[in-house]
Amino acid sequence: MPDLLFNLFAVFTVACALGVVFNRNAIASALCLLLCLVGVAGLFALLDAMLLAFVLVFVYAGAVVALFLFIIMLLDAQGGTRRAFGKLAVAAGALAAGLLATGVILLSGSLGPAGSVPLPPPDPSLLNLGETAELLFTLYLLPVEVVGFLLLIAMLGVIVLSKRFAGLEDIK
Amino acid sequence: MPITLLQTLAATNDWRSIAPEIFLGCLGLALLGLEMLLPKKEHGVIPFAAILGQGGLLIAVLAGFHHAADGPAMKTFGGLIQHDRIGEMFRVFFLITAVLVSVLGAVALAKQRMPKTEFFAIVSVVTAAMMLLVQSNHFVMLFVALETVTVGFYILVSYTRTNPLSLEAGLKYLITGALSSGLLLFGIVLLYGVGGLNGLKGTSDSAMNFGALQNFLAQNPDNFLAAAGIVLVLAGVAFKIGAVPFQIWVPDVYQGAPTPVTAFLAVGSKAAGFAVLLTLAQVFSAYAPLVTSVLGVMAAATILFGNLAALSQGNVKRLIGLSGVSHAGYLLLGVIATLHGQVLAQGAVIFYLFGYLLASFAVFGVMTHLAGEDDADQRREHYAGLGRTHPFLAVVLAIGLGSLAGIPPLAGFMGKLLVFIVAFKARLYWLLAVAVVGVVLSIYYYFSWIREAFFEEPNDPGATRQPARTPVGLIPGLVLTLLAAASVLLGFYQGGLAGIIGLR
Repeated sequence: MPDLLFNLFAVFTVACALGVVFNRNAIASALCLLLCLVGVAGLFALLDAMLLAFVLVFVYAGAVVALFLFIIMLLDAQGGTRRAFGKLAVAAGALAAGLLATGVILLSGSLGPAGSVPLPPPDPSLLNLGETAELLFTLYLLPVEVVGFLLLIAMLGVIVLSKRFAGLEDIK
Repeated sequence: MPITLLQTLAATNDWRSIAPEIFLGCLGLALLGLEMLLPKKEHGVIPFAAILGQGGLLIAVLAGFHHAADGPAMKTFGGLIQHDRIGEMFRVFFLITAVLVSVLGAVALAKQRMPKTEFFAIVSVVTAAMMLLVQSNHFVMLFVALETVTVGFYILVSYTRTNPLSLEAGLKYLITGALSSGLLLFGIVLLYGVGGLNGLKGTSDSAMNFGALQNFLAQNPDNFLAAAGIVLVLAGVAFKIGAVPFQIWVPDVYQGAPTPVTAFLAVGSKAAGFAVLLTLAQVFSAYAPLVTSVLGVMAAATILFGNLAALSQGNVKRLIGLSGVSHAGYLLLGVIATLHGQVLAQGAVIFYLFGYLLASFAVFGVMTHLAGEDDADQRREHYAGLGRTHPFLAVVLAIGLGSLAGIPPLAGFMGKLLVFIVAFKARLYWLLAVAVVGVVLSIYYYFSWIREAFFEEPNDPGATRQPARTPVGLIPGLVLTLLAAASVLLGFYQGGLAGIIGLR
């Protein structure tokens, strides 16, 4: 059963990822990205990483892709013609794909057949949202505080780059 | 999780040990508060408040230097942060950088109609993040601090938003920065994953911690996944220091960014990258053959590319950017020497960085002063006859450029000499040959700039769109004098600094 679900989610994710690249309509691309992220969240859920799966759906599918859609609609970016790939680009792409495939095959050879390494039982503390939160507020408190300052300067950046100031003429 | 375990986890959260970083963060907030409270016509005090705060902190850190640096290396925050002598050195380094960037920023922003306060607040927060970055002992801390630095730079680079080149530079830095963060993260995840893999020796469930990771790598010196992770992490850091083949962003971003930000990028961001590289070189020491070969090829390509590309530049901001690429190459030599067991190599890299700081800020100070309304358009012709109209600026420029070129007896020469000596002891002969060729090439473009300033006739300002030259203010003049004097002094007498960084 888990194998069947894994195959289902894997095929779904790859198909949606291809849809992001090949769709001519930007909105359809963004919606494919959303489905792709849902597929990845499903894969995480199969690995018992429930928190990661939920965060992925909440943050990326919920917030980030919605933002993409807003921006696409604001800019009214529709269709457009696509330039054909040059010969050099095709050759470089083929070379890169070949190298990547060789690497993956060599790597899978060196690691032995799949399933030879027994997976550890899932750490219960990673499944519980409350305990993850407690870790964030004890051991990882300093990085959390630093992220707070990161958000602060990001906010300052929005002010500097977009607020209208007296006597400042923006470029068109 | 029982509450006592949580308490022990949090027991090492020693906030006093990062007091300088906390102070800088609060300084950023206080500046924003000042802007809200003060009436508009008194906003001129904000740059002074920023410089005063950063300078006061610098003095406080220097006063407590021996107390903090001579103790044993100490880990706080559950192993996220490590305090040691090198971390303390870089704290001082970044505080000096912050003060100088704020002084240049005050000079440059006076010529623009830009919002002022945010610049100093962002510089303070970015400096604090750099200080945490070099002291981090854990990949989570490292990545969070690095992203804070990078996000700050995205904003600072595109700060002069009325200039299309500045916006273009910001966009290019954003895209390449996101790519480099992606590479770095992918490498970290590979290392973390393989470090926790069941069935291997020395695995740990906290493989993000540098100590645990170093232990794991030492017991598995030929793991393919770990090697892939190491190469990806090195690639991510190479973006930050602008080493070939990850240097593509350097010329455009250096040209488009406001000059004080270019200085901050050239000195602060590069030094932070090298501090991280020095730490990671120790963590990855079990994979020394791999790391040295990757960094060796990178160093040779970086030195040659930086110098050859700088030869043909007419815009001085692009020139200084590409010459900065070549300096990253010389510094990589020192990092490689640490992996060959050269105990002096870390000190040599730090000394080189201090010499580079003094020389770069002397040059950037002159550039900031001479820049006109269009900050990105600073060509070498604009310096014609500077020796006649502004002998003081011309002398500071000559000392700075001479130190960058490595002319004895300036600080830059001693830095290069030390790095080359440790590289020689580490038997990096072919890299040394490349470096010497690079130094010879660099003399050409540094000296054609000096020649322009001293031996050309002054231009007619109308004909070349050369910005008008104004007299130098008291504080920037004092700062430039100090920088030039320190460059000369450090060339003759290295005693104090060399003793502190452990060269003697």
